[in-house]
Amino acid sequence: MNSIPLHSTGSSEFSGEAMKSYSCGNTCNWCDGCGDYGIWTAIKRALVELSIPPSGVLLCYDIGCHGNMSDKLMGYRFHGLHGRVLPLAAGAKLANPVLPVIAHGGDGASFSEGVNHLVHAFRSNYPITFILHNNANYGLTTGQASSLTWQGQPMNSSPNGIPENTIRSMDFVFSLEPTFVARGFSGNIPQMVQIFKTAIQHRGFAFVDILQACPTYNKFATHEWLMRHVYDVAAEGHDPSDFAKARQIAVDTSERISTGVLYQDAGIPNFYERLAARQGKTTAPVEEVEKIDVSGFMKELV
Amino acid sequence: MSRTVLKVTGAQGQGVNSVGEVCAKGFKRAGYCVLGYREYASVIKGGHSSYQLDISPKLVRGSETKANVLVCFNHHGLTKNLREVQDGGIVLHQTPEWKFSPEDQQWVEEHNVRVIYLPSEKILKTFNLKPIFGNVLITSVVWSLFGQDADSLKELIREQFGHKGEEVVQKNFECIDAGTAFKQEHAADAHIQLPKPEKQWRDHMLLTGSQAMGIGIIHAGCRVFTGYPMTPSSPLLSYIAEKQNLSGMVVKQAEDEITAIQMVVGAMHMGTRAMTTTSGGGYDLMTETISLCGMSETPAVVVLAQRPGPATGLPTWTAQGDLLLAVHSSHGEFPRLVLSVSDGEDSFTLLPEAFNYAEEYQIPVIVLTDKQVAECLYTQQFYDQKAAEIRRGKLVTDVQELAKLTGADRYDPMAEGGVSKRWLPGANAATYCAQSYEHIADGSFEEGAEGTRQQMGKRMRKMETLKKALPEPELFTVRRGQISEVRNAVHPEVLFVGWGSTKGAVLDALLELTSDNSSLIAGYLHYTYLWPLKTGKLEDLAGKAKKVILIEGNQQGQLGMLIRQECGLDIPNKILKFDGRPFFTDELHELLSQCISPPSG
Repeated sequence: MNSIPLHSTGSSEFSGEAMKSYSCGNTCNWCDGCGDYGIWTAIKRALVELSIPPSGVLLCYDIGCHGNMSDKLMGYRFHGLHGRVLPLAAGAKLANPVLPVIAHGGDGASFSEGVNHLVHAFRSNYPITFILHNNANYGLTTGQASSLTWQGQPMNSSPNGIPENTIRSMDFVFSLEPTFVARGFSGNIPQMVQIFKTAIQHRGFAFVDILQACPTYNKFATHEWLMRHVYDVAAEGHDPSDFAKARQIAVDTSERISTGVLYQDAGIPNFYERLAARQGKTTAPVEEVEKIDVSGFMKELV
Repeated sequence: MSRTVLKVTGAQGQGVNSVGEVCAKGFKRAGYCVLGYREYASVIKGGHSSYQLDISPKLVRGSETKANVLVCFNHHGLTKNLREVQDGGIVLHQTPEWKFSPEDQQWVEEHNVRVIYLPSEKILKTFNLKPIFGNVLITSVVWSLFGQDADSLKELIREQFGHKGEEVVQKNFECIDAGTAFKQEHAADAHIQLPKPEKQWRDHMLLTGSQAMGIGIIHAGCRVFTGYPMTPSSPLLSYIAEKQNLSGMVVKQAEDEITAIQMVVGAMHMGTRAMTTTSGGGYDLMTETISLCGMSETPAVVVLAQRPGPATGLPTWTAQGDLLLAVHSSHGEFPRLVLSVSDGEDSFTLLPEAFNYAEEYQIPVIVLTDKQVAECLYTQQFYDQKAAEIRRGKLVTDVQELAKLTGADRYDPMAEGGVSKRWLPGANAATYCAQSYEHIADGSFEEGAEGTRQQMGKRMRKMETLKKALPEPELFTVRRGQISEVRNAVHPEVLFVGWGSTKGAVLDALLELTSDNSSLIAGYLHYTYLWPLKTGKLEDLAGKAKKVILIEGNQQGQLGMLIRQECGLDIPNKILKFDGRPFFTDELHELLSQCISPPSG
């Protein structure tokens, strides 16, 4: 099936009309002040700046407020099930490693329902980008606590605050030997654009934690609070190849919160590159759907 | 039917499988059809296990319960399996100073069973050989008992151990000579006469149902395979993984079954052919994603290898208890296809079809197998590689046609037969959203009543279109000991209805039954495609038959339930088995005879 076009470069009118090409007739329905507006704008901008047309990307969404983005922009999209966006996106990428695949998921999906997938995405180093919409609660189901909700916060279904510990997400992430970790803030669109661009171009699994304002249910890490606490590590000359330093500034949020590309190692092969069976192949699995001669497999069974 | 049965028993890890496999290959090369059947416990070492070969110059479809030769690696077989020996059969064992209980001893004498003690330890010591060589020693005695030539065994052994060097080969040859000499010296008169061989079997393959499926999957152009280990689906995962460097397939052992099926959905959406395999418990975990396939109209293929449940059940035994699971699994209403393999032939041929239906109708396809088919060893002729087709339905790949698409073509509610156009991410075309929420034609959210009705109608129309396209169940008409191609005029008086691995045992039993009773015309209606269920042919045949009998490997008669649900036909006569064991030919022969002529009074 060599006629399947793999890597669309879009129409010739693409340049100059780029942001418009991602526009869609459906009206956004997030709450006023929701961090998703910023992330939505930044992802479109990043794709445009990378010259990736809507037909040249697969955007995968988990279930949650962020998932309502799935019909608010153009691009090939798959809006799947709660907690499962990572294996969905990874499976898609393995079928066509040429096409950029970006997965969006919330903190509920990623640190509770599908936390196993997150663990294995790091260890597999799938060549996909994961954007964590981290608003520290389950917004779409009306504000229940997630495993990233702060201690002592009364939430829907945990009015006394959570009896469990809050997961120290960055400590957890760094314990999994990531090859790319970044953190952004939904109020800083230009920085998110830069982070997303770097993440999309990363060789393996790019984990991007976006601290996202949830004006309706998150009364602790508000837009204003986040704005006061974040700082840009690039401005302070952080070296993203320094694992120990990256981990330290990622984990320590007691005084201020580091944002930007915290850690990157592009020297580590991704999952697809590690597959012995695919070495030397010039085609993608999506191009290889045809009747395959099995004479050799039969002969060895005589 | 004239067949000879060899049953090798022993503790798992003792070499039962290796003796079984070498003998299977040897008999096949000598010109016999061999059917291998394994029983084992859910442990790695020590459980009592067996490897049975039913050997005949004619096609063997199902196993029998009686053995002509019973080989016992340890004393457990001498008590547990003794009474499975045929009158005049042989027991070969290696337990020093073994004494049967008085009852067993009497049974042995009454049934004229020859008991041969092989002092393996002593013989191996004489040749200064390690205990591992005991397998070849036993094999060579068995080989002699069947009157087979030692050189043919040596040829096999050289093939198997040649890569370990000439010294190992020569040591094995010493064992073979010792075994042959032992037989001549101590059991010269013991002999099992095989019927005249048939040349045709010699160039057949010997393969398990799992290997057959694996080859079918490769043939079908499947390029991504995911899985999570679970008996009896693991042998398929192992086969595909073992062959990945030759097939070039992307193989992923996932962190769980949910991952396995999600990766399939992602890969299928992207446009390759992908599938996964699991058993009941793992399938349960996949069901939410099967529902996602229904809504997003993403093709998917899942092999569901059945074993007895509920819960962990009997992991290493067989069942047909997951038919209703496959048909009813997952929330919401959506179209799907459920089909079942039954032997070494259709385990290959149905896999390309599973992918074709999945892509043509953009639905999940569940392929049922069971432990019996998955691990049975079949003597199988080479598959016809011309027969399979690759049909991808309404997949748009033409550049000009792609350019004309709008996003709303993807889930066009007016699409003929409910099947709308599908195109792949990366194609230079209008984009759309594959949506797990209810949606409008381009995948945008929809909560309106009319739009919801339209999309549900569109999806469910595919079920009707698919049902029309599916083949009817296959009728095997059996009379005078032969399966005949009977034209319309003749209708079976007695009609048996079944699916899955039951087929082999039923057909062998019917061949015997109609040999005993030359006036009987028996029919076996075999359901390969189980959902959506076609009942026209069944209703027609049932209306003309004197008696209809359902045969299934489950407790409720699940196919019978579906038949009644779909057409109102109730089949009160049922032969149901739900003890983890497959149907055996001789057992069924007896049961079918009773069905046909019930004892008076």
